[in-house]
Amino acid sequence: MKRTLLLVGILFVGITSFAGGPEYEKAMGQALVKFEKCQSAPDFREAANQFERIANVAQGEWLPSYYRAHCFIIMSFIDKVDGETKDTYLDEAEKSITKMLELAPDESEAHTMHAFYYSGRLVVDPGTRGMKFGMLSGQAVGKALKLDPNNPRAQYMQIQNEMGKAQFFGKDITELCQQAKIAHDKFDEYPVVSKIHPTWGKRELQNLSTSCNTESHD
Amino acid sequence: MKIFTFLVCSLLSIQVLAQSNIQGLVIDDQGQPLPGANVYIQGTFDGASTDLEGKFVIKTDLEGDFKLAIEFLGFQSRFYDLVLPTNSWNETIELKERFNELKAATISAGAFEASDTKKAVVLRPLDIVTTAGASGDISGALQTLPGTSTVGESGKLFVRGGDSEETATYIDGLLVYKPYNSAAPNTATRGRFNPFMFSGTVFSTGGYSAEYGQALSSALVLNTNDMPEQAQLNLGIMSVGGDIAGTALWDRGAVTASLNYLNLGPYLAVVPQNYSWDKPVQTATGAIGIRQKTGKAGMLKFYTNVGESSFVLTQNNSNYEENRLKVDLRNRNAFTNLNYLTPLSDKLILKVGGSYTLDEDRIGLNSDEYREDLSGWHGKVSTIWQVAERVKLRSGIEMFGQEYAQGYLADSLDFQADFTENRQAVYMESDVHLTNRIVARIGGRGEHSQLLDQWTVSPRLSTAYKINEYTQVSAAYGWFYQNPLDDYLIYSTNLKLERADHYILSAQYVKGSRTLRAEAYYKNYDDLVKYDASKPAFQTTYDNSGTGFAYGVDVFWRDKTTIKNGDYWVSYSFLESERDYRDYPGEAVPTFVSKHNFSLVYKHWFSKIRSQVGLTYMYGSPRRYNDLNEDGFNEGRLKAYNSLNMNVSFLYRQNIIFFASATNVLGVKNEFGYTFSNQPNSSGEYTKEAIVPGADRFFFIGCFITFSKNSQLNQLDKINDQ
Repeated sequence: MKRTLLLVGILFVGITSFAGGPEYEKAMGQALVKFEKCQSAPDFREAANQFERIANVAQGEWLPSYYRAHCFIIMSFIDKVDGETKDTYLDEAEKSITKMLELAPDESEAHTMHAFYYSGRLVVDPGTRGMKFGMLSGQAVGKALKLDPNNPRAQYMQIQNEMGKAQFFGKDITELCQQAKIAHDKFDEYPVVSKIHPTWGKRELQNLSTSCNTESHD
Repeated sequence: MKIFTFLVCSLLSIQVLAQSNIQGLVIDDQGQPLPGANVYIQGTFDGASTDLEGKFVIKTDLEGDFKLAIEFLGFQSRFYDLVLPTNSWNETIELKERFNELKAATISAGAFEASDTKKAVVLRPLDIVTTAGASGDISGALQTLPGTSTVGESGKLFVRGGDSEETATYIDGLLVYKPYNSAAPNTATRGRFNPFMFSGTVFSTGGYSAEYGQALSSALVLNTNDMPEQAQLNLGIMSVGGDIAGTALWDRGAVTASLNYLNLGPYLAVVPQNYSWDKPVQTATGAIGIRQKTGKAGMLKFYTNVGESSFVLTQNNSNYEENRLKVDLRNRNAFTNLNYLTPLSDKLILKVGGSYTLDEDRIGLNSDEYREDLSGWHGKVSTIWQVAERVKLRSGIEMFGQEYAQGYLADSLDFQADFTENRQAVYMESDVHLTNRIVARIGGRGEHSQLLDQWTVSPRLSTAYKINEYTQVSAAYGWFYQNPLDDYLIYSTNLKLERADHYILSAQYVKGSRTLRAEAYYKNYDDLVKYDASKPAFQTTYDNSGTGFAYGVDVFWRDKTTIKNGDYWVSYSFLESERDYRDYPGEAVPTFVSKHNFSLVYKHWFSKIRSQVGLTYMYGSPRRYNDLNEDGFNEGRLKAYNSLNMNVSFLYRQNIIFFASATNVLGVKNEFGYTFSNQPNSSGEYTKEAIVPGADRFFFIGCFITFSKNSQLNQLDKINDQ
């Protein structure tokens, strides 16, 4: 009798409480498989929906919000729509960023995504937003690097920001390309916390490190 | 025991066997499919997104009572009860668009808004300071917008056939009694406030909110910056002086202190002038601004400045001995503004504020001395209440106090006159979105003047209809009251408030960064003050028998898209206006009116050399002047006004900007009117003297440096400070 009750209990627990458990990991795994395959804005929206569903259930987890924000930020870059619509994507990203930072205020990755979000706002209207959001992005990257100087994604955001500024001021970017190359070469040394933690950045650093080569063709 | 075994078995069997198929179609209220909607079983990971046809399919092994949620950005979510397992669930789900203030129709008739926070605005705050010819002056920049006339001898805002006194300036909702610097007769003045203090500006050319009273023509509403983002030190080194400003931050608070000193001496020595300056213009201003966040979303703002300015100048004037008028001006002024804003609930915001203005002019006119003392305060308690999703109610109670005195000291005369005025006001105004496409603003303002012992009630109505995503038409109507000028009230209080009625029709098209606006208006003036002498004086008789009208069309076009790295706007105003007021013998065209006003502003960013070049061309058709040697009143015609202005800013380093500007680069000889002698000469002619600007051109160069911790900042928004 006792054993049976216990069994019933276990079954119910299995159904109702996913947070942090294998169900959560499985759902995240599936979502990340989809995320990896995303090409177009509708793809990213679908992935964002999936992360949102997970975030709604796994209330204590910051990663679903992290990825949801990432989807909307990428959408703001790739979708060919007017600035106002891009801002509505970034409004959605902001909601997830706020939630994520509440859950993981000391997470270097979270602040890196925050910096990425500010860059998204900047790109919508660089002429009028350049100064404000450039500064805010810089501040967020600074926080991320302070929490973890070796985080290659934070390094990427930092170099990317610096490169934008250098190109604007017509400064030499060779050194930044070298920094990107070093960060790229050391990328695999950075430990992967879990299968569902962020791993992006290697390809982006690769692109940055080669931008000096393309620059010289101009 | 058997029962338990059965229960366990059945639960297990469900886990293994029951798979449900839930499908449907998500559409909007027009029947169009909504791709990308999020459909999921609440409390679980199971769900799907709708495809391009709006369809979704969810396969799930869940069992029990659940809720199916359907969510889509910008639409109201819907929920369905769901009993699982099921194989027959198939629904067409219609989502209603959520009310979105940003996408809905907005009250826009009459108003030009410059803001960083709002999305669809005509101007950005940066536009105000980077406009060539504006010389970093707010009213200078606004003169490139339609509805304004360029009146070179004043520099103030003249809106839609209204006199400069008919525009009221508000900072954070509080009245500024003296928005302009004191200037010599017939010389252009500048606004007293630094444009960089403000992150939002609403320039209304008519039909404005019931929140603003005491203005017949126009309201200029300036909103100060919120919290600065970073500690920094700014230095400005200019051909006409220097300034320094520092910002320090603490937990949820910040202070900015600035000092500014201008001296036109070295400049006047180098560049030839039309006037003879005995002592150059010198101005010193100190300001402190404090910001403190309180509670969850409260904010306390404090700002104060004190300033002093002086100059001595000699002008030609045939009404004075040897045709010389020597003006020796000393001005002292102070302005303080305190504002506290706090949400009382998530639907109700409370604002409490007070402002105080002090201004003291001592003006020597040859051997005479004229003095003017003004002190004024304004207290206001207001609320913004989101009554319902589509209904917003603004209301407030206000108190105004003003003391004003004029004195004139000459050989034979020691004259002094003053008055004290207290006013009380209440206003209430509601914005109602009848649908997403239609918004109506209904409001009214009641005001009592103690000095004139008069109550006024001003209804204000405004409505907008959004035809499609890009196009909106709107209309506005209202009554506007204003006290007679201080110059009259010191002599007579047996007067009524002056009145203007506005009728406005407007159409606006905004797509991306292109904006087209056209407005037609009619304005009727009543109860204007008239007097029976050529100038207001002690024995003069005053009454409110004056009348007038103004009508016209304003057109505005802005395009930031067509020219890469280029941005331009074009304004055209057509204006017909006559009035019978002051000493006019009958209805006549006032001297500040020009029938056609045109301006073109162009800015180009050259990324290779990190420089922005700005050009502004302004044209005003001939204005009137009263030629005493001819018949009729205000029948003389001046030359048309023409001016081409230029500026260049160069971003040398991240934090260092060089800036240069020149007004009227073509050197056109503009004239702003004539002064006539009081008495005819021996041949019966009145001698006349042209009113010309102090110099045909004004040149400025400056360098602005910003020091901050991570040197990310610069004064890009400051490149046109002078």
